Amino acid sequence: MSAQGTPQEIGQISFGLMDPEEYREMSATKVITADTYDDDGFPIDMGLMDPRLGVIDPGLECKTCGKHSGSCNGHFGHIELAAPVIHVGFAKLIRRLLRGTCRECSRLTPVDGRREADAEDKAEQRKDHYREQLRRAKELNKDPSDVLKSAIRECRKVDYCPYCGAKQFDIKHEKPTTYYEIIEVPHGELSKRLERAMDPPEGEAVRPTDIAEELDDNDFGADRIRELLSGSYRPDRNDIEKLKNLGRALGRLNDLDELDVDVSSSAEYLVEEDMDKLMPSDIRDWFEEIPDQDIDALGINPERSRPEWMILTVLPVPPVTARPSITLDNGQRSEDDLTHKLVDIIRINQRFMENREAGAPQLIIEDLWELLQYHVTTFMDNEISGTPPARHRSGRPLKTLSQRLKGKEGRFRGSLSGKRVNFSARTVISPDPTLSLNEVGVPDRVATEMTQTMNVNERNLDEAQRYVANGPETHPGANYVRRHDGRRLKVTEKNCEELAEKVEPGWEVSRHLIDGDIVIFNRQPSLHRMSIMAHEVVVMPYKTFRLNTTVCPPYNADFDGDEMNMHALQNEEARAEARVLMRVQEQMLSPRFGENIIGAIQDHITGTYLLTHTNPQFNETQALDLLRATRIDELPAPDGEDEGEAYWTGRTLFSELLPDDLNLEFVSSAGDTVVIEDGQMLEGTIDEDAVGAFGGEVVDTLAKEYSKTRGRIFVNEIAALSMRTMMHFGFSISIDDESVPPEAENQIDEAIDNAYERVQELIDVYERGEMEPLPGRPLDETLEMKIMSTLSKARDTAGDIAEDHFGDANPAVIMADSGARGSMLNLTQMAGCVGQQAVRGERINRGYEDRTLSHFKPNDLSADAHGFVEASYRTGLGPKEFFFHAMGGREGLVDTAVRTSKSGYLQRRLINALSELETQYDGTVRDTSDTIVQFEFGEDGTSPVHNSSSLEGPTVDVEEIANRVVDEEFEDAAEREDFLAREEGPTNISEHADDWWMEAAGGD
Amino acid sequence: MVDVSQHELVPDHTILDGDEIEGVLEEYNIKKTDLPKIKRTDPALRDLEADAEAGDVVRVTRDSRTTDRAVVYRLVVE
Repeated sequence: MSAQGTPQEIGQISFGLMDPEEYREMSATKVITADTYDDDGFPIDMGLMDPRLGVIDPGLECKTCGKHSGSCNGHFGHIELAAPVIHVGFAKLIRRLLRGTCRECSRLTPVDGRREADAEDKAEQRKDHYREQLRRAKELNKDPSDVLKSAIRECRKVDYCPYCGAKQFDIKHEKPTTYYEIIEVPHGELSKRLERAMDPPEGEAVRPTDIAEELDDNDFGADRIRELLSGSYRPDRNDIEKLKNLGRALGRLNDLDELDVDVSSSAEYLVEEDMDKLMPSDIRDWFEEIPDQDIDALGINPERSRPEWMILTVLPVPPVTARPSITLDNGQRSEDDLTHKLVDIIRINQRFMENREAGAPQLIIEDLWELLQYHVTTFMDNEISGTPPARHRSGRPLKTLSQRLKGKEGRFRGSLSGKRVNFSARTVISPDPTLSLNEVGVPDRVATEMTQTMNVNERNLDEAQRYVANGPETHPGANYVRRHDGRRLKVTEKNCEELAEKVEPGWEVSRHLIDGDIVIFNRQPSLHRMSIMAHEVVVMPYKTFRLNTTVCPPYNADFDGDEMNMHALQNEEARAEARVLMRVQEQMLSPRFGENIIGAIQDHITGTYLLTHTNPQFNETQALDLLRATRIDELPAPDGEDEGEAYWTGRTLFSELLPDDLNLEFVSSAGDTVVIEDGQMLEGTIDEDAVGAFGGEVVDTLAKEYSKTRGRIFVNEIAALSMRTMMHFGFSISIDDESVPPEAENQIDEAIDNAYERVQELIDVYERGEMEPLPGRPLDETLEMKIMSTLSKARDTAGDIAEDHFGDANPAVIMADSGARGSMLNLTQMAGCVGQQAVRGERINRGYEDRTLSHFKPNDLSADAHGFVEASYRTGLGPKEFFFHAMGGREGLVDTAVRTSKSGYLQRRLINALSELETQYDGTVRDTSDTIVQFEFGEDGTSPVHNSSSLEGPTVDVEEIANRVVDEEFEDAAEREDFLAREEGPTNISEHADDWWMEAAGGD
Repeated sequence: MVDVSQHELVPDHTILDGDEIEGVLEEYNIKKTDLPKIKRTDPALRDLEADAEAGDVVRVTRDSRTTDRAVVYRLVVE
């Protein structure tokens, strides 16, 4: 593959380290100057914007590939670093390798050379063991770096190399890129004594040569002793013994007996720990010596990744196209953050070289080295802890390489997983009950912007010409055409008539969205698959997307300003797939709980309740009016006559929407039994449990046992019928609907006063110390619990009293009863008493010392001092009550905020963990490496959507299904019975078997 | 120590013999390493009659909410 060729198919990807030689090879140019453009605005040769690195300005030609901006992907350059620096990304691995290998011979040290005999052989055995573990880890799909970690842990413990016997020292890693070797140096006391020997307060001075003579050791001459004195001496492996000798020699020379004893008695006394900084060049030398087979034993492929490549000697310069400069309005050029960073690196690199050539002192060189290291580090990652981030002149931290990739806005999550797309639209949603649940109302201005491609042929030629002739602004028009030769022409108001003439078969016309097109519709957060469904387009005036209200539950949408996204599909496969798999009706049953998620909501439910609960009568006009938005246009036989006029009952009208052979019996949420026989609803109330979203029996049954289409028709018609019913009866709610008569109010007051008395009694008992603690609870908690339960009973009593005084026709009661909206608790709080406010599940106990508010006496345990709200929402809360109520309310708000963010993150983690699991054709669930996760999907191999939703009985009722199949086979019961019961009599049986025959035939 | 295998929540674990293992691998057309894993030190394996060793396959038979009995195989690892 050429450097510029686009790979057609990726066979495999291998990851490894990059050889510095490879950097140089692929480099288009060496970069040596930190400047970018000259005064005329042309890029400087061998500068950061060298034209060989690719072009960004239109019109210029790339000096490497000859292509122009847009087609040239850019080419890497390189910087020759004056001194090696550590690559931050590998800091951890570098530390591990330093710890695991010998400081002298660079080989892996799994066995101690002094403690074990045959250390070399044993070390080789251990390495084989590591290789075996690696093989097993690969087989079991485990992380091979765990093997490396445990191998290093073993090698680190070793004090002496099994191969060369060198003493090993511990490595200290100072983040991010500094390494120290903790070595042993001669104890400070030793050189002090040496000095004293050479410059004694009395007697003759000793010269280093004298000591050397006394020592009589060729390895340890006067030079080493001078080194020792100057502090530059480093002990090597066998020096401890020599230092002891030195101590003795000193003793002999000086006649210092006590020194002799002191120094030779303990080896520890002779040495102390010192930190020796390992320069990147030292580490590079160290790593170069590690043999390939040792690298291999750690799970690193030495051919692809030599460890010394982790220390950079060459820095690749990303192509200009990866760091384009932008020209500001005032003509000034503004460079990319990466370019800024590269400028820094080159500057320091140059200064480093100059200083070194000029023979600058070691201290300055080291400072520059560290600075170079800092710049290269922040070039790759600018968010390293312990390092101040490199900043822009304005003080903003620079966005360098890893910041481009990391996190939500990074290349992976932001650009690759979250691409921006064309052919999409977003606007506010609003309801439209006249639409089918499969449809979506699309504003005309969206429809004229989003197009579908039409392949023109003989049969649709006229149609295509009509679209083009309409131009880009009139609705069923076209925006672009593509001719035979592939040229794309924009359709404009001016050229549309002319262009329409030219359209011929083989052209492509990008026509506007029209009614019936399929589009994808989505509301964020997309938490389940029903958050993205396909709808059919209905082009409409005005600016909002219009939805049937029954699709609100799957999207979790409402109309308080929610916005949704729409995507126009661009090829036939996508459109077919969307229509077959993603259309709203196909998603009626939720895979989460296996019941319908689309169904009647809110007013729809109130409507069916009004229609069926009291089974009201309607005359012909009324009945037809109720059914006018459904497909029913003929009424069934009337249910009876009232004063000479035929009437139809609500249940009869509802039954018109049911299939003729439906049989069902269930208990409604209003509490009565619904009976449907042969498609006729005989008794009961149709409410949430019958037609509601989230498991309405009738909808669920229709969608499962008939078809999704039948279910969709039913839901549409139910919505239409119940809206009409609502309009027929009228339905509203006001404050007066929550008011109770004065006698009820008195009863409620009385109940609450009673509760107060009981609470006071409890407090008295507690204060007298006569309270019996509940098992496992201290006294004060016992009191709290008793007070809480007393007060909660009081609220319930208040609610019951209020409920008794509400008629069944009370709209709030109807809504609570039918399950349309609200609960009896809401009613209780509106009409009776709001009740105890709680924070953290307890009565309110915070505020001042020993009291909640300054309006109460300290240590007041009474109900109203701890957040009991006696008032109802209708009467209004007192100031103190209001404050307590706000405290409880605030906790609720905080809880929801915390819960959504927590559950969102949990969901993200679950999705990422499970996203690649797939049910195979053999019924097993496996991940991408074919490891089995479940032997049978969900243990029973059935989809929740296709299961029966009844809680009793088997999930898959085989008998029931078999009966249904057999029933379909035969025309009537007699034929079926005939077939199933037919039994061939035994023939040609010997007369000896007569007894048996008589018995089998059933009797004497 | 408590024998966890007696606890009602701990399903039955049995070690398969060679033929049975072959049968399982053939049934699902997999390698041994594609099976779910169980640690050799897992308490559920501790009180089995034969000691489980790495490379063995155990059959876990548990009560299931959706099917009466769910059978799962696991490869014993270190």
